[in-house]
This record gives sequence, structure tokens and C-alpha cells, in this order.
Amino acid sequence: MSIFSIGVGGLNAAQMGIMTSGHNISNASTPGYSRQSISQGTNNAIVTGAGFVGQGVHVQTVKRTYDEYMAKQVLHAEAGASEMDSYTTQISQIDNLLADVSSGLSPALAGFFKGVQDVAANPSSIPGRQSMLSASSLLTERFHALDDKMTEVRLGVNSYIANYTKEINVYASQLADINQRIMIARTGISTQAPNDLLDKRDQMIKELNQLVRVTTVVQGEDVNVFFGKGQPLVVGAQYNTLVAMVSPEDQEKFVVGMIGEGSLPIAVPESQVSGGKLGGILAFRSQTLDKAQNYLGRVAVTIAQNFNDQHNLGMDLTGALGGDYFKVPPPNLKQNASNTGSGAPTVAFDTANMAYLSGSDYRLSFRSGQFQLLRLADAQAQTFASLPQTVDGIQIDLGDWVPNENDSFLIEPTRTGARNLGILLSDTRSIAAAAPIRTSTALINSGTGAIDAGVVVDTANPSFTNFNVTGQIAPPVLIQFDHPPTTYSLYDNTDPALPVLIQGNIAYTAGADVFPTASGLDYGYRIKISGVPASGDQFSVGGDITGIADNRNAMLLGALQTKSTMNASVNVGPTASYQSAYSQIVSFVGSKSSEVQAIGASQQTLADQSNSILQQVAGVNLDEEAANLLRYQQAYQASAKILSIATKIFDEILSLGR
Amino acid sequence: MRVSTGMIFDAGVVALNRQSAKMLHLQQQVATGRRILTPSDDPVNAARALEVTQSRDVVAQFKDNHNNANSALGLAEAQLSSSNDLLVRIRELAVQGGNSSLTGDDRRSVAFELRARFEELLGIANATDGSGNYIFSGYMGSTKPFGGTVDDTLAGNEIVYQGDDGQRRLQVSPTRYMEISDSGNDVFKRIRNGNGYFSTDYAKTNSGTAVIDAGSIMDTTKWNALANRKFDIAFSIDDTALPPVTYYDILDVDPNSPTVGNSLLTGAPPVLPPTAQSGQRVYESGQPITFKSQGSEPAFDLGGSVLINGDPAAGDSFSIRPSTSQSVFSTIGKLIGALEGATTGNERSMTSLANDVGFSLTNLDQATDNILRIRAQIGSRLGEVESLSNVNEDLGLQYQQTLSQLQDLDYAKAITDLTRSQTDLDAAQKSFSMISRLSLFDKI
Repeated sequence: MSIFSIGVGGLNAAQMGIMTSGHNISNASTPGYSRQSISQGTNNAIVTGAGFVGQGVHVQTVKRTYDEYMAKQVLHAEAGASEMDSYTTQISQIDNLLADVSSGLSPALAGFFKGVQDVAANPSSIPGRQSMLSASSLLTERFHALDDKMTEVRLGVNSYIANYTKEINVYASQLADINQRIMIARTGISTQAPNDLLDKRDQMIKELNQLVRVTTVVQGEDVNVFFGKGQPLVVGAQYNTLVAMVSPEDQEKFVVGMIGEGSLPIAVPESQVSGGKLGGILAFRSQTLDKAQNYLGRVAVTIAQNFNDQHNLGMDLTGALGGDYFKVPPPNLKQNASNTGSGAPTVAFDTANMAYLSGSDYRLSFRSGQFQLLRLADAQAQTFASLPQTVDGIQIDLGDWVPNENDSFLIEPTRTGARNLGILLSDTRSIAAAAPIRTSTALINSGTGAIDAGVVVDTANPSFTNFNVTGQIAPPVLIQFDHPPTTYSLYDNTDPALPVLIQGNIAYTAGADVFPTASGLDYGYRIKISGVPASGDQFSVGGDITGIADNRNAMLLGALQTKSTMNASVNVGPTASYQSAYSQIVSFVGSKSSEVQAIGASQQTLADQSNSILQQVAGVNLDEEAANLLRYQQAYQASAKILSIATKIFDEILSLGR
Repeated sequence: MRVSTGMIFDAGVVALNRQSAKMLHLQQQVATGRRILTPSDDPVNAARALEVTQSRDVVAQFKDNHNNANSALGLAEAQLSSSNDLLVRIRELAVQGGNSSLTGDDRRSVAFELRARFEELLGIANATDGSGNYIFSGYMGSTKPFGGTVDDTLAGNEIVYQGDDGQRRLQVSPTRYMEISDSGNDVFKRIRNGNGYFSTDYAKTNSGTAVIDAGSIMDTTKWNALANRKFDIAFSIDDTALPPVTYYDILDVDPNSPTVGNSLLTGAPPVLPPTAQSGQRVYESGQPITFKSQGSEPAFDLGGSVLINGDPAAGDSFSIRPSTSQSVFSTIGKLIGALEGATTGNERSMTSLANDVGFSLTNLDQATDNILRIRAQIGSRLGEVESLSNVNEDLGLQYQQTLSQLQDLDYAKAITDLTRSQTDLDAAQKSFSMISRLSLFDKI
């Protein structure tokens, strides 16, 4: 009888082998599928006097071939690769934009200064002035367009965060469910593994890991999943829900929040979330987008402020002092939602030190009676006992702020600089191409003394108070050389027929500034007399009324193009022009982009290699399965033969009785 | 090594993708002719290219400015050249009019032409450029620089300059701001009269026939070092001698001087009538009167001398004053006045005319020199613009080359690369289709 059972056992085993091979063949391209194989064992032998007689075969288990260690390697590399992949997708949007020949800032910047130079060449020409105004609006439009794109990308980041957290939640809930099902499946037969469920769970972790880097810990039948620095996502059959929430510090940005004990989400610090698409998008925002947008804004506000400062020193075609040309966007100040104090500090640019703007954001917080200012770009902190303080080109004043402990404000000096840049001037005549003062040398002079054209340094000086009404500085100054001409006297020349002495006996040094005088008299402009004046020689300074062909201020405005006005450090002073500061953004974004692509490529290669090694072990080879099919087919045929022989033997026995 | 069927397909797809991406990149490079498609291709050179582009644009801007400077300077030069020609003609007329043998009608016709020339010169001084701005009005481009007529000058009024002393400039190189205009003051008015150090004149009350020249300076430092520079040469005659001797004295007449009224020759107020002992020098017609102590005179040295010809009368005097500015209009006006006011046959009138024409010739020469000086300046500015233009052109070419090196594609290399990656892709495709066809299932 045992021959039959041996034959049947053989048949069953071969059948199971064929089924398993068939399962492998049909799942050859199922993602995450690990090949399965049967493991056969001999049945217990029967003890006879002749020894142990074998009783055939049975299938012990169907096992999956899997390499836990390699799978971890794959997870690690894939989290990196997908992080860099999403980073690259985002950064390439602004990378292409910035240096483009037609859409970048450079051509608009060059066009703008060409407009200024055209006015300098032809200060009284209205068409020239019109073209400068048009070039200015082109420049501001270009700043807006670049910023719009960045803002669009920023909003995109917010919606990505919302989508990714939703996807992560789906995976988390499914993983919790699978944990549960595996536990139930194992409850009956703890020795047999639910291979396909395990594959499914591993595949799910792999997909989740591409959204955010996770670590797994096996606990009994469960796999617990953590993300970031140990934030639990799935524990057994329980899972935590992530949400995209508005940052308490910056109401314009979404951060990842976790719904904990209560139903209120708590923000997960960005440094805690890394890897995967979510990590990539957060890293892109904090490392590249913030910096690029701040830097762009910094170029915008610096141009605007420098240009205004110089424009204020000029005189327009109507004979009035130059007004503000650009609207300079003020720094952003954002109140932390958890502040308990009242009021807010005020933040403004320190207009004389625009070159020191760093392009970083700052956090101003109040702790233990002191103000702490943290520069977020390099985490450098400064502590002040009181306000106001001037730091990096911004001036922080207490305003009406009544701070409580741990209250904080986020200061973004240049974030919206490009977005809110505007032009205040619309009348072509209001472009201040001329300088408001002019100097002259009296015809009676017999010496060789000469006075230069003068430079205006401060039109807020009282001597310019009535300029817009009278077109004259107060007072117009007459400089007369004494006898002997080693000294000179300053006269108020309001009535040229009757000059009134202001200050006398001032020692003459050829080529030295007349103002400020040794006693500190300063009228807001600088003039120099050189050469050898004779006694009685006269020089005068007055308002440049009707000086419509004067282009002195336009030339100074034009000179701003190549002047070093940005990136100042304390010991070196300004080191970059607007164009080089902009090129710096281009090279920063370009380098970052190429760096991210390179890291992404190497992570991808690593992931491909690990995957390939895992596939070597766990992947299905159709040729192998074909061979297995043949093998089990033959085993089946052979087992069938055993049955047929057993039947024949049985028939022989029966025929004996016939 | 165990190979799974999935690996064969995955590896094939990855290889094909990689080759296609490479080909796409090369194709884009070839199609645009640019080596750097996005800054990430070469961040450093992409940023550098932007900066070089600005430098190139700035150079192009300078080129525009050079053209503007050239036309402005050329225009001024043309006007000044015409005024030079005018002054030559006026000088000829002055010489002609100074001829004492002319009749009153002849002189009037000379004066008539001078009036026409005067108007012509005024027209040049009020010339405008292509856009209607006055050339010689300084910053005040819309203000007519010189107002008034020749009759104003004759009435003793100046031709008033209504512009200012501003010099328009243009940036012609990173560091050079070139003057492209000269004020009317500098061109037509700030002209030293006399010999440039002092000017001479005769007293209107003179009754002799003495004529003074413009004087000459031997030692400019001595003249410049003087604190007080107003002197008179006063003539007196000792009638007691036979024949009467004409003396002259040099008097300090500067009201600021502590020794005002004193004679330089004696250091004391002059003694009149003169005697051989009273300290005055003896006058001889045509002999230089040097402003330097001689013999027992107290030490003084003004560094110059004048020449007086003719016979002065007692009480005649000539003044020596420091040079001041005298406009070319005023010089011509004075000449016209002198010609029109002269009476033929009247000796005194003829003496004044001789003096006045002499002064006019001196001052016309000064005006010519001044205009020549300014033309020389304009000429050197034009030369500078030209050489800057040349440098600029080279620089522009250089920037263009640098830019080309930074961002342009090496076509030979790109096409070679493209061909090679086409071969690579081809091989990848063929080998993939070969290996993927192998299956044991085909055999059983």
C-alpha cells in the first residue's frame, strides 16, 4: 500500500511545484514580487527488520526568496534618489528662467542703464527721457515676472506638501491594515509565512519611502514605520496622520504637521523630515528657493534705494529737486501666531548701508529680558539688551512692541523686494538729470584759480529747503580771496550787489574741499578750488535753475551700473555690482542644480545596483521557471509511473488467484 | 550570477533612456549653437557669461557716447573755426581803419563792415546744435547765451552772458568723463586784455601825441608776486630848462596800498614841477620805460616795461592795470567806437585812435589766442575720443570672443559626439532586442 502513497505524495509535490512555478511566471512582472519555491522533505520512514524504508515526499513549505539586508540598501538609496529627483524637478524651473537670454534679468538691467545713458547724452530730449521711463518699467516688470515664477513655484511647494502628506497617510493606513492582516493570517499557522502579503507590505514600504525616508523596525509580526528622526508613522495596526499646516511663524508657508494626542496638528520641524519627494521639496524651499528669491529681492531693493538716493541729489527738467524714482519695498515682518505680547517692532532699511544686506531672513525673539536676533542663513545669533539696533543694512526699532517671554517675529528683509518694486515717477520731466548747483568763476579774476563743477551730497540740507520754490540754494555762496590770497572769505550772495560775510579768513589749500569748513559749516555739497587765485578773485555757487542741458546727475545715475554697491563686508566694503550680484544668483542656482543632479544620479545608480542585486536573488527568471516546469512535469510523470507500476504489481498478485 | 528576467528588461530600458537623454542634450546644443543650455550645465561660466555680456553692453554704450561726443565737439569746432576766420578779417579791418591817412568816409565804411562782422560773431556765439540746444550756454541749453547788440556795446554796456559756466560731459570710458562743451564765458568773454598780465590805457584828458604799446613782461613771477598792481605813468615838463625836458614818474595808485599816491622812483609823493633833482626820469620817445629801479631809486621791480612813442604834454598820464577779462565783443565794440569817433585832421583824436587801434589789435590777438587754445583742447579731446574708440572696438571684440568661448558650441566636437552616441544607441537597441528574444519557452 505504501507504494501508492509514495506515488501520490510524489504527484502532489510535483503538482505543487508546477503551481508555484506557474505563480512565479504569472507574477514575473508584479512590482515587489519575490520568487517563491517549494521546499520538499522526505516522509518519516517505516522501521522494519531490514531497516528504515523511505515513505516518499511531502512539501514542507512554500518560501519566498528575499534579502532583507539588500532591501534596506534599496530603501536608503531610493529615498535619496527620489529626494534629489523632486529637488531637480523644482530647481530646473528657476534654473532655466534666470539665465535665459530673453527672460532673465540681465537684458532688462542693461536696457535700463542704456536708458539712463541716453538721458545723460541728451538730457533735454523728451523722447530720450521717455525711453528711460519705458526701460525702467521693463526692468520692474522683469523683476515681477521672475518673482511671479518663484512665487508660483513656492505655491507649488505648498500644494506638493499637501498632496504628499495625503499620499503618506494612505500608505500609513494601508500598512497598518496589512500589519493587522498578517497578524491574523499567522494566528492559525505560525510556522507558514503569508508570502504575498509580506511582499505587498515590503512593496508598500518601498513606495512610501519614495515619498519620505522611513526606517522600519520589525516587532513580532508587525513592521513599525518611522520617518525623519524617529517620528512614529505606523505602529502595529495604529498609524498617525500627517497634515499640511500653515506655519505658525510664517503664515504664507505650509509645513508638515502631525496630529497627535489632541486633534490639533503639531508642526514637525523641517530638519526632522528628510529624504523622499517630501524631503526634496522641503530642502528645495529652504536651501534654494528662499535664498534665490531673497537674493533677487535684494538686487531689486538695492537698485531702487541707490537710484533714489542719487536721484534725490539731482534736479529735474522743471527745476525742482529729484524725487523718489522707484518705490522701495519695505522689509517683511511676520508675527509668530503663538506670540502673547502686544504690538510689533518696526523694521526698515538702513538706507546708507544697503550694501550690507545679507539676503538672509532673521528671527527676532525676546528671551530673559533680552532681544535675540538669529540670522537664519548661517544660524548666527546676536543678543541685544535694547532696541533700536542696526544689523546688516536693516534697522530694527521697538515700535509699540510689548514683548512677552519667547515672543518672536520673522524678518524677511528682501523676500518681497522683487515682487513689490514699483516706479513712482511718471512724468518724463521729473527725471533728475541735472545737478541742482552750479559754480562760476568771476570774469574779473586775474589769478589762475578754477572751481570744479561741484558734487551734491545731501539735498536734505537746509540750504536746499526752498529750492523747489525758488530754484535757488539758500544762501548762494560767494567765495572771495582775501589780500593776500592765502585765505578766502565766504559771503551770502543772496543780493549780489551786497554780499554778506558768513565766515572769513579761511586758509586756502589748492584742491581741497571748501565744505565742510573747519568750523563745520556744510551746505550739502562739495566744491573744490584749485590753482593760484589772486586776491579779490571771486567764485560763486548758486542754483542750477534752467540748467536743462546739465547731465551731471544722469551720469552719476549711469555710473551706478558698474559701481560696486552690494555684498559688502566690514573690512572690504562693497564688492559686487548689481549684475554680478545677479550673476551670483544664477551661479548659485546653477551650481545647486548641477550638484543636486549629480547626487541624484549617483543615488539612482546606487538604487539601481541594490535593486539589481535584490532582483538577482528575488527576481523571477523565466528560463529557470521553464526548467522547473520541465523538472516537475517529469517528476509528475515519474510519480504517475510509480502508481502505474504499483497497479501492475497489484494486478500480478490478483492474477495469481485466477 | 543569477539573472532575473526583469533585470534584463530593466537594464535595457535604463541604457536606452540614458542614451536618448544624452542625444537629446547634444541635439539641443547643436540646434541652438549654445554650449550652456541651462546654468546648471556650467554654473561658473554661465554666471561669468552674464557679467561679460554686461561689459560688452557697456562698451557698446561707450561707442554711442563716443559718437555723441564726436558730433558735439565737431559742431563746436566748426563754429570756433568760423569765428577764428572772422577774427582774422576783423584784425585786417582794424589795421586798415588805424591808418591815419583815411578819410572819415573810409573809416565809416570800415566801421560799417565791422558792425556786420560783430553781428556775425554774435550769431556764432548763439549757435544751436541739431536738437535746438545752444552750444555755448553751459548747462542752460535752452537759454540764448548772448543778448544785446553792437549799439549796447557802444553805449558802454557789455554783451551779457546769460548762460552759466557749466561744461557738459559724457562718459567715454569707465573712468573718463569728457567735456563736450565749453561755456560762452570761457570762449568769448574770459579773455585777458592787454598783454595778459597788465593792460595799458591813456587818460582821456591827454593832450599830447604820445602812444603807448601793450607793454611786455620780462619776469612774470615778479609781476604776480606784487601785492598792489595799479600804477600810473605821469608826464611833466620842466619848462625852466632849455630846451624843456620831459620827465615821467611811476606812481602807485592802488587804493589798497599803504603807499598810495607815492612815486615808485622816490618813495615819496611826487614833486611838481619837476627838476633834475626831483627824482623823475627823463622821457625819450621810443625808449622802453622799465619798471625797475635804476641808480639811486628805491629798490622796486615790477618785472615789465612799456614803450611810449610821441610827445606827451605835461599832465598826460598812462595807466598800468592788472589784466582783467574783456569780451571779444567789447574789444570789437571799442574798435568800432574808436573808428566812428575819430576826426580826421584832429591830432588829439588821431592820437587816441592810434592808441585805441593798438589796444584793439592786442586784445584781438588775445581773443584769437583764446579761441585757438579752446580749439586745441577740442582737438585733443577729439583725438582722445578716436583713440578711445579704437581701444573700445578692440575691447568689444575681445568681450565678444570671451563670450563666444564661454557659451558657444564647438560644432566639430558636438557633431562627433552626436554621431558616436547614435552608434551607441543603435548598439544598445540591437543588443537589447537580441537578448530579450532569448527564451527557453520558445524551445519547449
